[in-house]
Amino acid sequence: MSLIAMPEPDEGVLRRKDEIVNALTRILPADCVISDPFETRAYECDALTAYHCSPLAVVLPRTTEEVSEVVKTCRAHQVPIVPRGAGTSLAGGSLPTADSVILGTARLKGVLETDYENRFIRVRAGVTNLSVTGSVEDDGFFYAPDPSSQLACAIAGNIAMNSGGAHCLKYGVTTNNLLGVRMVLSDGEIVEIGGPHMDAPGLDLLGLICGSEGQLAIVTEATLRILPSPEGARPVLIGFDDAEVAGTCVGDIIKSGILPVAIEYMDRPCIEVVENFAKAGYPMCEALLIVEVEGSEAEIEDQLGRITKIAEALNPVELRVSESAEESALIWKGRKSAFGAMGQINDYMCLDGTVPISELPFTLKRIGELSMEHGLDVANVFHAGDGNMHPLILFDANTPGDLERAERFGMDILRTCVEVGGCLTGEHGVGIEKRDLMHDQFNAEDLEIQLKVKDVFDPDWLLNPAKVFPLEVTETRRSGAA
Amino acid sequence: MTDDIATPATEGEVQDVVRTARADATPLEIRGGGTRSGLGRPTNADRTLSMAGLSGITLYEPGSMTMVAKAGTPLAEIEAAVAAENQRLAFEPTDHRALYGTTGEPTIGAVAACNISGPRRVQAGAFRDFLLGVRVVTGEGEAIKSGGRVMKNVTGYDLVKLICGSHGTLGVISEVSFKVMPKPEATSVLLIEGLSDARAVAALSAALTTPYDVSGAAHLPKGVDGAPVTMIRLEGLEPSVAYRADKLREALSDYGEIAIESDPARTADGWAYIRDARNLADGDGAIWRLSLKPSDAPKLVATLRDQIDVAGAFYDWGGGLVWLKTPDVGDAGAGAIRGALASIGGHATLVRASDAIRASVPVFQPEAPPLAALSRRLRETFDPDSILNPGRMEG
Amino acid sequence: MRTTFTPEQLSDPATARSNEVLRTCVHCGFCTATCPTYQVLGDELDSPRGRIYLIKDMLESGRKPDAKTVKHIDRCLSCLACMTTCPSGVHYMHLVDHAREYIEQHYDRPWSDRALRWVLARILPYPGRFRMALLGAKLGKPFRGLIPDSRLRAMLEMAPKTVPPVSRNDDPQVFPAKGERRKRVALMTGCAQKALNTDINDATIRLLTRHGCDVVVAEGAGCCGALTHHMGKTTESHATAAKNIRAWAAEMDGAGLDAIVINTSGCGTTVKDYGHMFRNEGLAADAARVSAIAKDISEVMVDLGLSDATRAPKLKVAYHAACSLQHGQQIKTFPKNLLKAAGFEILEPKDPHLCCGSAGTYNLMQPEISQELKARKVATLEATTPDIIAAGNIGCMIQIGSASQAPVVHTAELLDWATGGPKPPALAGMRSADGDGFRMPD
Repeated sequence: MSLIAMPEPDEGVLRRKDEIVNALTRILPADCVISDPFETRAYECDALTAYHCSPLAVVLPRTTEEVSEVVKTCRAHQVPIVPRGAGTSLAGGSLPTADSVILGTARLKGVLETDYENRFIRVRAGVTNLSVTGSVEDDGFFYAPDPSSQLACAIAGNIAMNSGGAHCLKYGVTTNNLLGVRMVLSDGEIVEIGGPHMDAPGLDLLGLICGSEGQLAIVTEATLRILPSPEGARPVLIGFDDAEVAGTCVGDIIKSGILPVAIEYMDRPCIEVVENFAKAGYPMCEALLIVEVEGSEAEIEDQLGRITKIAEALNPVELRVSESAEESALIWKGRKSAFGAMGQINDYMCLDGTVPISELPFTLKRIGELSMEHGLDVANVFHAGDGNMHPLILFDANTPGDLERAERFGMDILRTCVEVGGCLTGEHGVGIEKRDLMHDQFNAEDLEIQLKVKDVFDPDWLLNPAKVFPLEVTETRRSGAA
Repeated sequence: MTDDIATPATEGEVQDVVRTARADATPLEIRGGGTRSGLGRPTNADRTLSMAGLSGITLYEPGSMTMVAKAGTPLAEIEAAVAAENQRLAFEPTDHRALYGTTGEPTIGAVAACNISGPRRVQAGAFRDFLLGVRVVTGEGEAIKSGGRVMKNVTGYDLVKLICGSHGTLGVISEVSFKVMPKPEATSVLLIEGLSDARAVAALSAALTTPYDVSGAAHLPKGVDGAPVTMIRLEGLEPSVAYRADKLREALSDYGEIAIESDPARTADGWAYIRDARNLADGDGAIWRLSLKPSDAPKLVATLRDQIDVAGAFYDWGGGLVWLKTPDVGDAGAGAIRGALASIGGHATLVRASDAIRASVPVFQPEAPPLAALSRRLRETFDPDSILNPGRMEG
Repeated sequence: MRTTFTPEQLSDPATARSNEVLRTCVHCGFCTATCPTYQVLGDELDSPRGRIYLIKDMLESGRKPDAKTVKHIDRCLSCLACMTTCPSGVHYMHLVDHAREYIEQHYDRPWSDRALRWVLARILPYPGRFRMALLGAKLGKPFRGLIPDSRLRAMLEMAPKTVPPVSRNDDPQVFPAKGERRKRVALMTGCAQKALNTDINDATIRLLTRHGCDVVVAEGAGCCGALTHHMGKTTESHATAAKNIRAWAAEMDGAGLDAIVINTSGCGTTVKDYGHMFRNEGLAADAARVSAIAKDISEVMVDLGLSDATRAPKLKVAYHAACSLQHGQQIKTFPKNLLKAAGFEILEPKDPHLCCGSAGTYNLMQPEISQELKARKVATLEATTPDIIAAGNIGCMIQIGSASQAPVVHTAELLDWATGGPKPPALAGMRSADGDGFRMPD
């Protein structure tokens, strides 16, 4: 049995399923409510498949007003709501419980306003991350946060998890690019925070909502900062036969005053798998850095010249600058497909701890040791520029006991991250995956104040209640809700 | 400010001061360097909690671009430390001493509490965007932490953002960790003279929509010599700045003659002048900061000039930030300003005015009722007895 | 992803293969982003990831399929955009084909559904019957308002205004190479295409012989089996496929074949999969041989190289990538490069990865979704303001042609024109946009 538990469903809610579904059917068109057990099953997990549970029902509203009606109805029936963007969470952020209604944002689609002069775009929250850039790129703009799942993941989920990506070393994560939201509060009230202007007045509620994992409100529209696209960008591949030297190289580049837009890291197991999918021409080595710089041709040359000089001092086994836009695209395609491509060889569990850059070499070494101890392979691919690691623990989901071993291994890695001054999650969110490790990073008071913040927004604890915090800590609040 | 000052030296002592204040029902005014006590609504605190005793950089890793410092650490000490490693605080915090006529040393804790940021906000972000972690003593005397010292962290709610800019009304910040950035090799400023407000904001928008990574975009209708001047800043590696300055001059050629200033001292002084609102600081008058959609700014200023006695105005953030000087009498123009903003969106903060006006006019833009209710409940959660900077953010 | 098949279940080769496919899926959700039905419907159940989940559940439980599961699998276009997107290499095609076969064997469809499928399976693969049906449909068009079933109405709507006479070029025979003989190839003349548009095969034969190929129309070859294969009617599809395998294997063993040329990419994807379809049957070896030399016309032309491509008029051609070509066969650049080399200006619509909604019989079985996809595709193609739209698959040509302003022709027809063939009949009477006419090579 998995080490991660989910709360027992509320029998009362389960018994009232028909009544609840009927109530939802009254406020939404028929094709927006899914309750057939054969159909709800497709919503039983997100991209963290190790944990799954069919929800009571799924609703797919098309407007903010419909979302508000759903929230009111669920509150009236005291049914938990689990918001779901595109279901690409690697942390189980949209994992339902049997007594919950999944509120999917997939049909909240469309660009509402594009304003280049003032450099913002307003979208419905169900649009995918990449489609935001897609809708402005012909006019020379882009939306900066670029999680690896950007092809599929929704802005709604990006805001819930405060998603990052490879290029946030320069451009920041979601919260740094979010100007405003329209959202539905737990009582169904529709409110707006921020807008095209910067720094909303009063307490920074926008900053609080971003990254609150769908526990404080349901975001239905977002105003996002868009930026003019750089004239060009080019990655350089730097391969080392030693992880520690690669870590040194990252620190040296940053200290030199150059700020690349991205510094990515892949180890040998990862390179092998990804090369097989993307055919990007990655060199086979122990530690590969992908360093990308932006600007005009001359600016790129200048920066790459400085970077290669730093790298050369560390005797890399490979140093290759991308020579064409196609090659660059392949290099990034490989990097962004790394998690999925791992599926070709085995099941995996993807972690997301962040450590101070200075602790990267130690942490990598420790992960290697833990891999031996737990008897499971691990591949590393991550954002080295900001210390956000993504160890992929490989296991066989069909072998009894393997999942539990992977879970223990993962917990040990994350504890290591916290011990060296880092954190449990850099961009994927706590979800259920790291929920029970929150005690390692926070003491009782640190947690209690967060729970109180949730009390303010969601007094009945109906929004995504079984996530983020250890279950025993939230028990009384959740049962009060049920 | 009162004469009753507590100066704790440790976070534990801060907790003691807060607990005592709570027990005595004696509200506290939290004070860093005391350079911006005129910011916000006057509090009616009986006792001052000075953070000067919690001072010092506790960790600085240039290779990780992170620093941890106690709240009372003077900003000057921090800036000197990062400059020694060729780094800087990219959010370019405003120094309010000229504006308020204060002396003393601004502290990092106060910069965090007020989310102070300067001209580079338009490109790099505000302090909220660089703040990685805080330690805070709540109104109940609990010491809590949020965030940490790593650059990416989504573990738990982002209380760091909530605390940043809460003006001490949620808790007393005892320690902050934040991201520092490499100091650019070179800076160039493009200068255009004689533009009207509307034309200038159009030029700034044009500059900000190029790929040339503009890090400052301001317009002074009355520059130092009394004539309008528009300033656009570029920073980075030397060859890159030279290249971008050329390209940008070309792109903006329709807006008139463009001079390029690259002298380090003069460019730094020029932007400090914008950052600290020195264009308006001297003399009497109330000072406002208006945050709005850049393209709305010139028209709004023109409308206000018709309605009230605008003694001066200038634009930063490409027009997204308007500094405005109005007579320090009556409502200091609040009715007209907020009335004009109501139809176009945005918000206005009364940065400087007499205590009497700041006590009667909402200093911060009043929030929509549901948001105001959430904010009130959050304050009650962090500070149930309302002993920390009571009323500072209220209308 | 974890699976729970029993060893007994896994002893069935089809289930074993599905297990393999399911085990590679990591449920990352990338596929949802490029799935046309998910774009239109916004429900996970109508996305590859959702369908994979439904199929997994259906196969693992070994139960009789339920109506909901069948509905969502029926809605799949089999465009295979998901396979292009999938970083884990999930072979969705084999999984959904297995699911369709399982449904066909274990599910009792409503009678109207069964009747429609029965009719389609017995008409489309047979050019003679299909031609008669098209002529009948022409007569039926005025009465379409009286027909209750939207799918039957769709069938009438799709019927072209003119039905070409039978082309004797499609009869078994050998067309000798012009000039020096470089290759001996078989041309698959298809089934529905023969009844709908005889120009494509005519042009293909001219193009190939002009480039030094003996072109064989093999005795006994006919429908590839795709139409029935996608309905899960394995017995029927294997029967027609087996005829092709025997016919071409005989040619390979006789005078020899360098390639089997297919100019209907939907069929091409299936012929290239014969090796898999027959892997556990007596014809396995021959099927694998046939699959190995099955080539799209664009592959063969890239291999031959265009000669004397000097006759193309200055025309803007919007290239529509058929799903079977770009996803099923992963042929993306060849047709565009050939058309460019032939002198045409190539335009690409936005979202080129999305299906036009034709998808074999999909436009007949799922008219609402198909219409929506058609409207989107035509809008993006016409946004490029082309003179002509080119595609490499008859299904797409009919689908797009039924709504587009610009005429739709096959890539091979344009290549034929540019290298000395006649102007494609579909372009008869066409003038350039500025009215001054373009050079007519014929």
